[in-house]
Amino acid sequence: MANLAIDIKKQNTYDAIVIGSGISGGWAAKELCEKGLKTIVLERGRDIKHIADYPTAMKNPWDFEHRGQVPLDVRSQYPKGRAAFLREETLPFALKDGIQPFVEEKPFTWTRGYHVGGKSLMWARQTQRWSDLDFEGPKRDVFAVDWPIRYADIAPWYSHVEKFAGISGNKDGLQELPDGEFLTPIELNCVEQHLKKVLIKEYDSKRHVIQGRCAHVTDPQPIHLKQGRATCQHRNLCNRGCPYGGYFSSNASTLPWAAKTGNMTLRPFSTVHSIIFDEKLNKASGVRVVDTNTKEMIEYYAKIIFVNGSALNSNLILLNSISARFPNGLGNDSGLLGKFIAWHNYRGKISAEYEGFLDKITDGKNPSNGYVPRFRNLHSQETDFLRGYAAGVGAGRGSYSSREGIGEDLKNSLLFPKLNNHWHVSSWMMGECVPIEKNHVRLHETLKDPFGIPQLVTSAEWTDNDVKMVKDYMEQFTEMFTKAGFRNIKAVDGKSNPGSDIHEMGGVRMGHDPKTSLLNQWNALHLCKNVFVTDGACMTSTGTQNPSLTYMALTARAANYAVGEMKKKNL
Amino acid sequence: MNRRLAIRDLTLALGGLVSIPSWASNGWNANSLSISSSFFKTAEQNILEVIVETIIPESSTKGAKSLGVPAFLQKMLQDCYEAPVSENIKNGLSATDATAQKQFGKPFEGCNTQQKQQILLGFEKSEDTRLKEFYSLIKNLTILGYTTSEYVQTEFLHYNMAPGHYYGCVSVKK
Repeated sequence: MANLAIDIKKQNTYDAIVIGSGISGGWAAKELCEKGLKTIVLERGRDIKHIADYPTAMKNPWDFEHRGQVPLDVRSQYPKGRAAFLREETLPFALKDGIQPFVEEKPFTWTRGYHVGGKSLMWARQTQRWSDLDFEGPKRDVFAVDWPIRYADIAPWYSHVEKFAGISGNKDGLQELPDGEFLTPIELNCVEQHLKKVLIKEYDSKRHVIQGRCAHVTDPQPIHLKQGRATCQHRNLCNRGCPYGGYFSSNASTLPWAAKTGNMTLRPFSTVHSIIFDEKLNKASGVRVVDTNTKEMIEYYAKIIFVNGSALNSNLILLNSISARFPNGLGNDSGLLGKFIAWHNYRGKISAEYEGFLDKITDGKNPSNGYVPRFRNLHSQETDFLRGYAAGVGAGRGSYSSREGIGEDLKNSLLFPKLNNHWHVSSWMMGECVPIEKNHVRLHETLKDPFGIPQLVTSAEWTDNDVKMVKDYMEQFTEMFTKAGFRNIKAVDGKSNPGSDIHEMGGVRMGHDPKTSLLNQWNALHLCKNVFVTDGACMTSTGTQNPSLTYMALTARAANYAVGEMKKKNL
Repeated sequence: MNRRLAIRDLTLALGGLVSIPSWASNGWNANSLSISSSFFKTAEQNILEVIVETIIPESSTKGAKSLGVPAFLQKMLQDCYEAPVSENIKNGLSATDATAQKQFGKPFEGCNTQQKQQILLGFEKSEDTRLKEFYSLIKNLTILGYTTSEYVQTEFLHYNMAPGHYYGCVSVKK
């Protein structure tokens, strides 16, 4: 018996464990496997193979039985609140009801991607770098804690991940949004260029419209072809999975790359219950996994553990990792684990019309959009709220058909749409939420999920700062749109739930001091140095940029640090 | 670009390294749709067909009926709407015949084009919200099924699954 136990332990022992196969987990797997570490990647959902498992990717509108609408009997298998978003096109990636119930102490929209690739199959693919104006934010404006890193620490890693992922963009030369390693840019259209010129003139070159940098391979380099990826086809059907690998996902890029090294074991249907802490060695020795098919509990062991379960889930795993040494969750002597949860403020939206360039139109499809980098409170405090917002902006011409009448007239109207006599313009804000201690997640005392794991309680709400920021965005963009000659401007505060942006962050923040933070400058737990958290949970503050690129860079940086420390026998 | 071309280009783009998965070629057509025959009675199906064809008729260009839109409507009404809605549709179908009898002394099917249009336009303006909703849903689904059909998408609406480019500012073709 003793021998059998030893054999099983040996069989379940790897050099590294990666929890999660999404955008950051995929990067951890790639870096660790490339450096020769035998790595097991644990994914709680099913496997999704690149190309083969994108069943709707090549379907035409008429190939969908219900033209995209989801039948009632299928719809009933999904959470009620999400039903409105369900589409036949993206159903393969939707999360069914009851898989992971959680308790919304205050309303919180928690979007999860429980399958191999995670939300890297569902993201908006916008990839903007942070600058020191973001990293220095908490220190300058006295909130949260100081980031233990600066732009110079992460810049080479931004380059590292950008070259591999393939990022399209312009070198815009803006301090607040550093340039990167860019492939051929996608162009702004006539109206977006017009707005760009107006803002430069009217705001003394302090407000800009650029093309959003995005993870689309516009001209594949040898490194992308080696991944088996081809040029973006401008289909804009990205959320079905891209058979061309035109945009970056774990499935198209990092996971197959890691698999090719022969060092990766990918285990789907593996929900991590907790991390095992070895009191004698004073470090983590492995993880407990529930096989979601058999409900059997299995242990895996490794020298290092990367936690990439997506921000709130990574919090949940650490909170549930209870030991005599850490009765409140792994590495949580400070009591701050799960606190200072923040997200992005996407409440403000504006639409307008423009009657210029009526002899012009766009041709093809733009997988990205225009982007207005943050301009508020950049170098000093100017407003009655802290921080600021970036914004997406896009214009399009569009056409219409009258649906009036009946018979031959109606038919001809439908068959021969007319070009609109104006352009639509729209914008949406992406505001920095200032993290506060009160906004937190914790484990429910009694309620469990189907795998025996405590349910997560979300307790987070908007602050006065967020509300003021929405107002300012609506005012400023109304003014900017007015100066550009746009008409019929409509600004709305959608008052969406926290989390609707799908950019939830924090709870396991980085910092200098174990008393006020959980992770050090290498994303390792201060108090358990072989556990690394490199997904959204690590974020000390939120910036205004879409966060995935920063998670990728932090992950690659931490993985390379971890391998170095292992070689020095420090881990 | 039609789907065959899109798939051909997919194969080209990937250097022919992958075989095309089976899902790439199993689109539906009106005949392959599974419709439970008990959902609509034959008489109801017949009226529905005539209504759909009245909304978008066949002429030098194809109409809704020959593109299989009635079968699409039945599929949608059967699968995607709650019972009170599909019940209202069934009631609307008999009301259509009843109205034809009342106004023109014959079944809806037997009316000429102008009479059929007059009946349906009457529903559109009706103060009876149930009739109004009946016609509004039938019309919207007919337009949806028609405009997303392969024929209309490819022959008229310039459907192109993979444009391969984006040009931000080109002149409108006169």
